[in-house]
Amino acid sequence: MIDFLQNTLDGLALGSSYALLALGFTLIFGVLRRANLAYGPAIMLGCYCATWAYLKTGIGLLFLALIAVAGSTLAGVYVERLCFAPHRKGAAAAAMVASFALWMQFEELATLALPRHLYAFPALYAGGPLSLGRLTLRVESLVMLVAAILVCAALWRILYRSRFGTAVRAVIDSPAAAELSGISVSAVSLQVFALASAIGGLAGFLIVSGNEQVTPMLGMWSTLKGMLAMMLGGLGSLPGAIAGGVALGLREAHSQWYLGPQLRDFIAYLLLFVLLAVRPPWMNTRSAY
Amino acid sequence: MLRVVDLVTAYGKIEALKGLSLEVREGSITCVLGPNGAGKTTLMLTIAGVLRPRQGAIEFRGEPIAALSPHAIVARGVALVPENRLVFAHMSVLENLHAGAYQRKDPYENDLEKILARFPRLKERASQDAGTLSGGEQQMLAVARALMSRPRLLLMDEPSLGLAPLVVEEIFRIIAELHRDGTSILLVEQNAHMALKVAQHFYLIEQGRVTFSGSPGSLAEDELIRRAYLGSARA
Repeated sequence: MIDFLQNTLDGLALGSSYALLALGFTLIFGVLRRANLAYGPAIMLGCYCATWAYLKTGIGLLFLALIAVAGSTLAGVYVERLCFAPHRKGAAAAAMVASFALWMQFEELATLALPRHLYAFPALYAGGPLSLGRLTLRVESLVMLVAAILVCAALWRILYRSRFGTAVRAVIDSPAAAELSGISVSAVSLQVFALASAIGGLAGFLIVSGNEQVTPMLGMWSTLKGMLAMMLGGLGSLPGAIAGGVALGLREAHSQWYLGPQLRDFIAYLLLFVLLAVRPPWMNTRSAY
Repeated sequence: MLRVVDLVTAYGKIEALKGLSLEVREGSITCVLGPNGAGKTTLMLTIAGVLRPRQGAIEFRGEPIAALSPHAIVARGVALVPENRLVFAHMSVLENLHAGAYQRKDPYENDLEKILARFPRLKERASQDAGTLSGGEQQMLAVARALMSRPRLLLMDEPSLGLAPLVVEEIFRIIAELHRDGTSILLVEQNAHMALKVAQHFYLIEQGRVTFSGSPGSLAEDELIRRAYLGSARA
């Protein structure tokens, strides 16, 4: 029983990082109806900027977080202007393939600047884990949970209580009607890309400082986890992205404990396959913003 | 106020507008009649910036607007109520109206109150999702949303299409009210009987060209038009 509770706690912490990644991925997908494969690599590039700054100057964590967020945001804006702005009306595949090309570009850039496969990243918290009765919780996990809740609350406020949010939801609902209402779809999608990449950058920073290491694989990993969580929760729904992220985290923690780490990712893809084959009702519904 | 000169708009190789010219005077209601496929909707979409013309000019208050995108044209004071209404189905009625006022920097709470007073059905359903409204209510919402941008010129593409007669009458009552308040209107309409009651100038377009232009009086005089659009010979 205590194992089950401990796994659930670990899964929640892991899931909140997936939820953050999925939120950014889903925002972009909701607005553009296009999958952005360079989403994770942009986050990775932001984290590499932070790593580079750390190696050169050894500045503090707060600055590293700012650099990671700023770097990811800039990389995201670059992806939008280069891949998605020119293909807004064209084929979805063209934008996706273009974003794959930028993924490669970002990986090359990262490995040119920092050629080793693995770099140490300063830890978020140096002390030991907290104990809650017989359960333990890493401080990093607690920070991740709190960050995820704060980001969700802020995002909800932005989307439902601001002029910008009205515009974003209008574009998600109908780009044509949004333009005719005086909303620039081009400007909104650029801003959404920046916002989503900033959220991703924060998630990336928390993940690498929790793992205390960074590798170029972070890019593919982030895109994959974000996409998987989004699909679990239903395409294009923000509450669904959070639920999907948490579900993915719980499932990973439990299957790692009961079936071992080798089967952990296998189970994830098996689950995705089953979902796509069965297509439960919540995956067919249009966005539930 | 609006001048369209020699406009050509094409879908691929097929020209839907073949050198069309027309004019809307400040403070007037101008009505465009024509059979299905004549290019009426194409004309509206081209003026609103959704379609790019291949040739010709569109001037609004002396300024060329033909190369602008739709949101920039809304900013100049031209708002389109599209044929298929295009309300934001997953947003509430109130949110639809706020989206319509997106470009406005001034406080528009007063206008919102006025518009809700003009459309009491929308006020009753203010917090309901727009997708749950009836066709007539969605049409009202599309008009109300366009008005939130405080347009100088309102483009209306067949606002009576598919609506019950009572609703059509309400729409035309609102059109007449808007006109009285000083809004200029360019109206595309199949319902010539209703249009005759409100419009000051008519254009008939057929196969992408203007084939008649004149006052309501001269329109009713024209034997061919009367047969085609007013249904019967004059008593």
